[in-house]
Amino acid sequence: MSVPLSSKTVRDLRSIVGAAHVITDPDRLLAYESDGLTQYRAAPSAAVLPASSDEVARVVERLHGEGIAIVPRGAGTGLSGGALPSEGAVVLGTARMNRILEVDPDDRLAVVQPGVTNARLTEATRPFDLYYAPDPSSQSTCTLGGNVAENSGGPHCLKYGVTSRYVTGLTVVLAGGRVARLGGSGRVASGGLDLTGLFVGSEGCFGIATAIEVRLLPLPASVRTLLAIFDTMEAAGHAVTGIIGSGLMPAAVEIIDRATIEAVEASVFAAGYPKGVGAALVVEFDGTEAGLDADADRAERCCLEVGAREVRRARSEEERLGLWKGRKKAFGAMGRIAPDLLVQDATVPRTRLPHVLASITEIGKQYELRIANVFHAGDGNLHPNILFDRADPDELERVERASHEIMKLCVDAGGTITGEHGVGIDKRAYMGLVHNETELDMLRRVRGVFDADHLFNPGKVVPDAVETPAEPVGSERASAAHAEAGAP
Amino acid sequence: MAGVRVASAAGPGSDTLASALEAQRERLLPCVHCGFCLPACPTYERLGDENDSPRGRLHLMQAVVDGRLDAASDAFHTHIDRCLGCRACEPVCPSGVEYGTLLELAREAAARARPPALPTRLLLSVMGSRTARSPFFVGGRMLRATGLASLGARILPSEGVLGTGRLGLAMLAASADGTDRIRRARPAGGAHASPLAEGTSPDTTPADPESPNVPSSPSDPPSSAFSAGRRARVGLLEGCVQKGLFERINAATARTLRFNGYDVVPVPMGDCCGALHAHGGDLDGARRLAQRNMDAFERADVDLVVTNAAGCGAAMKEYGTLFDSDADLADRAGAFARRVRDVSELLEEAGPRPGAEVPCTLAYDHPCHLQHAQGLAHAPLAVLGAVPGTEVRVIEGADECCGGAGIYGITHPDLGGRIGRDKVAAVRAAAGDAACTPNPGCMMQIGAGLRLEGARADVVHPVEILDESYRKAGYYE
Ligand SMILES: Cc1cc2nc3c(=O)[nH]c(=O)nc-3n(C[C@H](O)[C@H](O)[C@H](O)COP(=O)(O)OP(=O)(O)OC[C@H]3O[C@@H](n4cnc5c(N)ncnc54)[C@H](O)[C@@H]3O)c2cc1C
Ligand code: SF4
Ligand code: SF4
Repeated sequence: MSVPLSSKTVRDLRSIVGAAHVITDPDRLLAYESDGLTQYRAAPSAAVLPASSDEVARVVERLHGEGIAIVPRGAGTGLSGGALPSEGAVVLGTARMNRILEVDPDDRLAVVQPGVTNARLTEATRPFDLYYAPDPSSQSTCTLGGNVAENSGGPHCLKYGVTSRYVTGLTVVLAGGRVARLGGSGRVASGGLDLTGLFVGSEGCFGIATAIEVRLLPLPASVRTLLAIFDTMEAAGHAVTGIIGSGLMPAAVEIIDRATIEAVEASVFAAGYPKGVGAALVVEFDGTEAGLDADADRAERCCLEVGAREVRRARSEEERLGLWKGRKKAFGAMGRIAPDLLVQDATVPRTRLPHVLASITEIGKQYELRIANVFHAGDGNLHPNILFDRADPDELERVERASHEIMKLCVDAGGTITGEHGVGIDKRAYMGLVHNETELDMLRRVRGVFDADHLFNPGKVVPDAVETPAEPVGSERASAAHAEAGAP
Repeated sequence: MAGVRVASAAGPGSDTLASALEAQRERLLPCVHCGFCLPACPTYERLGDENDSPRGRLHLMQAVVDGRLDAASDAFHTHIDRCLGCRACEPVCPSGVEYGTLLELAREAAARARPPALPTRLLLSVMGSRTARSPFFVGGRMLRATGLASLGARILPSEGVLGTGRLGLAMLAASADGTDRIRRARPAGGAHASPLAEGTSPDTTPADPESPNVPSSPSDPPSSAFSAGRRARVGLLEGCVQKGLFERINAATARTLRFNGYDVVPVPMGDCCGALHAHGGDLDGARRLAQRNMDAFERADVDLVVTNAAGCGAAMKEYGTLFDSDADLADRAGAFARRVRDVSELLEEAGPRPGAEVPCTLAYDHPCHLQHAQGLAHAPLAVLGAVPGTEVRVIEGADECCGGAGIYGITHPDLGGRIGRDKVAAVRAAAGDAACTPNPGCMMQIGAGLRLEGARADVVHPVEILDESYRKAGYYE
């Protein structure tokens, strides 16, 4: 429920950021009611778009002074409801904080405002033969602030590691508008505890990052990309085990399953896969030229040994993009064939992939749902996509249940409830599956150090009290979503 | 006869404001809210408000369809109106959301709920009527010829109503021939340093039966119109603004096409394409004009319909969608749409034949309605590539809108001005002898922007350069 702010508060906010950048009209707040996870929606009390760290501090001071909670928002591409407005909260959007403050090619560092997109940072550093390594599939649009908050990963994080490996310093605005500088100048820790590391992955619950210093890497000199086609998912799984087991260090290993291939081929994005294919595997190697061909040859052999139907290799950048096409277009293709799409995110030990995938197929059958899988196979990060139509309340209910079973399956297989999309609101109720009460209590207390009164993104990530994940989860979420779907 | 009014194509229930959009629910559904379109959007880039992003606008449309938002609300009106219609959000969308079509429907819903401002309505009615258009443009040409337009652009204040007049006059002045300086330039080598060693006669071009120009749909006429040695029989859309202010480009289009083997026939009864109307929310008006064009071009019995204006091409290629819900006309409109080509497509298809050297440097900008709406980025560059001595510098940010967007600069002076100034800065940074872009609207917007900054303001269309190259080579003699 959105609660209108007092006119005095609105006036003050306007004087800080400019009248055009404070949005209070309920009609205009609709656009802020969801992030990339549209199953949930709730309009904020207002949306404020500051342009500088100083403005952020003043806005936070003003709102927290009145006990009004703040939900940070970057590009709103998050898939766990992280930027979903909490009740009565004001959304603080970073879209106007989109300047690259500094690129230092000698120290291989860059400092950016939080609203800079991931891809723009790489573009800006390319002239120096440098780039920013973490590459979420949403990189053209997601912001560095969002990446920091979610500790985002991407296909190439198999070799290069996720966001936390690259963030070396942060300027953060904490509850009440206090400003802190964590780390900086290339040092990961600023002496003592690694507060920077603690902040990365805090999902907007600790404060707002207003300047971000990151490490850059030299652009890899060369790259080799393979696409292997398999009759069965099992064979593809064996190929992955073979490749990694042989000591190779691919930059990326991605699998798309039969259902996804069918979705892609049925859409306007047809990538030209042969009919009746069980799985496709994309393997990429990068680095200095020497040895790359040998690596690619070995990977190709690993695929053929376990019965790959064919292995294609890119000979140009254009061909390389062609091989990636099926993987990159999967999400959009699924949007074309079903009205609604729930992108799940979980991680399992790589060796358990075949078992988990088979069980997910079973779950799909049991609940009569179409589930398509794309995943970062190299690190066991699964993205089961459940296709549905929210206009069908019965189907929605089944989606909720299937979702829960999939989470439980992954946890039982020794995995965890998120690989890279975060906990947000969506996975909060699953936290009990992976943490005992002692651990949850630690999480709550660490959060309290930064934000004792829960004035940033309240109700997210850590469940407030013990929540038994089994029953309430499905029905609670389903009914929340029902209410929304049925809302006039 | 032309002007048959299409009974509300939205079907029964079109009285409800949202019904046209409602009928398009299917087009809205593929939006998965991923936000990939945000960085492509010039208004979001500058304002940072989700409501001014493609995803936000689609969300507003969806809210209207769902009955959660009033089509007459200030929010819907303002943010739908503030869209440039540049469609940069389309090619980047992984779900293939047809934003341009949805925007037109949203504009219609908004316009019915709240009629647009008087100047917009006036402009649409002038453009939609041959009788009103003609004196309007005679006046325009007089202001341009007497230098009054460019004088006004220099001396009027930049604020308020007079500021709007100043922009209008600057645009008018910018429609003047920009090839003068280029014509006068002396070639570095000999005047006839043409690589054209053979085949100067268009008649030697063999007709290619596999050519994509040959209509292939069963509802299209047989290709009997292709006489030996000729490419296709094409009718030129003279258009409204082109005919009024850019007759020279229409003439250059006809000449260069003929020289490349096309049989260009006049279609005097062709009308305005209706793009301005569709973008302005007057879909019925757009349909009326579309029907007149269908009648005229069908009567002229042409294989293809050609235009030199990116906006007109984009609109005509979507006539099929415009009549989506009209069972009687949808097929006919679809068949028409499949025959529409931009002049650069036809020239690229033909080669095009090289001419004499035209030594100059052009600061080239992509028109949104060519690049994003028609997926044609290369063809105009191929046209310029046929001109020896012409160096093309594609400006920084060429894939972003120039802010022209019809009359955007006049309806949204602040934001349009900001977008326009960024474009002008990029054009100036490229330091060409002239700016070059294949769309009259963009030519006027960029030319006006340069003029208002007191910079050299020559703007040319690629076919003008090719035409000059042919003229110099003596091909027309
Ligand atoms: C098609 C698609 C593909 C995706 N692929 C990947 C992928 O490969 N890997 C991956 O990891 N993720 C992926 N994601 C998820 C998402 O893009 C990432 O989580 C991204 O980091 C979110 O960035 P954002 O700017 O959109 O943040 P938002 O969604 O706006 O916010 C995300 C969270 O960050 C907080 N936040 C935002 N800015 C700040 C700030 N300045 N300070 C503090 N907190 C802040 C918000 O409160 C929220 O909790 C994908 C999403 C989509 C739609
Ligand atoms: S890119 Fe396409 S699917 Fe994604 S938000 Fe924009 S319009 Fe919707
Ligand atoms: S058409 Fe242009 S201005 Fe309008 S939403 Fe799309 S990108 Fe933005």
